Amino acid sequence: MKRKRILALVKIQYKNLIRSPTPLSIILLLPIVLILICRLMFGSVIIEDIGKSVFEFLVPGLYAFSGLFMAIPVALSFSEDREQGLLKRINTTPTTGTEFIGSHLLSNMSMAIIQVAIIGVLTFLMGYRGATAGIILAFVFMVIFSLSTIGFGLITATIAKSAKAAGGIIQIFVLPQQLLASGLYPLPPEARVIGMFMPLYYASDALTLLFNGGALSDLRIWADMIVLIMFSLVIVIAGILLFKKYGKA
Amino acid sequence: MSKSKNIDQTSNELKFGSDNPNAIEVKDLRKIYAGKKVIQEVKAVDGISFSINEGEIFGLLGPNGAGKTTTINILCGLITQTEGDAFVGGYDVKKDLNKIKELIGVCPQEAAVYKFLNAKENIEFFGKLHLMNKEEINERTERFLDLLGLSEASNKTAKKYSGGMLRQLNLIVALISDPPILFLDEPTVGLDPRVRRTTWKFISSLKETNKTVVLTTHYIEEAEALCDRVAIIDYGKLIAIGPPRELIEKHNSKDLEEVFLKITGRRILEGI
Repeated sequence: MKRKRILALVKIQYKNLIRSPTPLSIILLLPIVLILICRLMFGSVIIEDIGKSVFEFLVPGLYAFSGLFMAIPVALSFSEDREQGLLKRINTTPTTGTEFIGSHLLSNMSMAIIQVAIIGVLTFLMGYRGATAGIILAFVFMVIFSLSTIGFGLITATIAKSAKAAGGIIQIFVLPQQLLASGLYPLPPEARVIGMFMPLYYASDALTLLFNGGALSDLRIWADMIVLIMFSLVIVIAGILLFKKYGKA
Repeated sequence: MSKSKNIDQTSNELKFGSDNPNAIEVKDLRKIYAGKKVIQEVKAVDGISFSINEGEIFGLLGPNGAGKTTTINILCGLITQTEGDAFVGGYDVKKDLNKIKELIGVCPQEAAVYKFLNAKENIEFFGKLHLMNKEEINERTERFLDLLGLSEASNKTAKKYSGGMLRQLNLIVALISDPPILFLDEPTVGLDPRVRRTTWKFISSLKETNKTVVLTTHYIEEAEALCDRVAIIDYGKLIAIGPPRELIEKHNSKDLEEVFLKITGRRILEGI
């Protein structure tokens, strides 16, 4: 595995993000707009039981919700590269599959860090003060969760015949998680159970506990992390295997 | 396989895998796509054998769907053959693909470059995948851009390029690592006559650096102008092989198109 190749591939993915307005706005602008709207709508609505505004209650879920957007550019990027013959071309160079996928993992994980940092700064400027442990672990949870977004992107690119189709198909993975697992909406118990089969649930659950002052000794936080790691690994491995077998042509 | 020889002192010390003088050797190669339900099986490549000497420009000529691209894709390791053997630079495509990828440059039919990057960035990226250093990449980039007349547009993003410019960039990307073996899949399709001539001149100049070039085309005049030898393929089978002039004389024809017509009873362009 050559560092020079991986860095060249990561650089290309960043250039793609910076120069193509669609993925950049999905990853960074959408969360910002979402936070601004939530602040405007719920900033002054207080939940009396806990003495916090609805906005403050939603912040941990917003981290998780935003992280899921990263699956969309991943699916689009793999589909577009395949459509334009770039995957085949890269495959005729000495680049290995591990280097190629590794570069996507690295760029997505680093993008997750940037996204968390932006949300953190923005919500701080809006007066939100979450527990410090929560903010630190938000980076860890969202980096782990970003692995699953690559898996969802790869599975989508495997199924989709074109980049346009990928943009629609990825919603199969994004929407149910946003609705059932982000923790942003009050849900009946049955729906919460369905959400437990989705990785986002565990990121959202742990962040909600942490941001609301949950102790690091709380086993539920670490159980959430273990389940999230397992979910993310299974999804990314499934994505890699499926894409390798059926998606490259 | 154990001995190796340097085939190009200027090309990153890339070495062939054997002392075999053939840069490429193909033996009874077959690629069969299995049928599904009502779809019949397709013999894309049907038992072809040939060898290509080091430093030779070798043309694969035939109508669309004849099996030219499939053959190249097998030799580059993009697909696996159903039967037969293929060796590139003395290495077996089934066993030593990683070594082969260090020896080859591939110019695919479609312009496979990043549209959001400019020409220099595209070339630099693919150079880095071959672990070239920046000075080496810059030197070669300037030279190739100049030779193919792309220097002025080299800082524009590729999405602003015409089809012809994209195809030329496609060609430069294949050459950046200075590979001893080049696969050019229809490199001049869609080019206007002037640019096509420039590209021909450029491909011809590759002989001076002793590069082995495998060129697929359905332009008869292109094969006649550039190739030391051609293999004519139809329905996955090799139907004639030899230097263009020799084939034309042997079949008492005026050009390769007529050779094809005499052997198969149809014109190359009928399949296009």
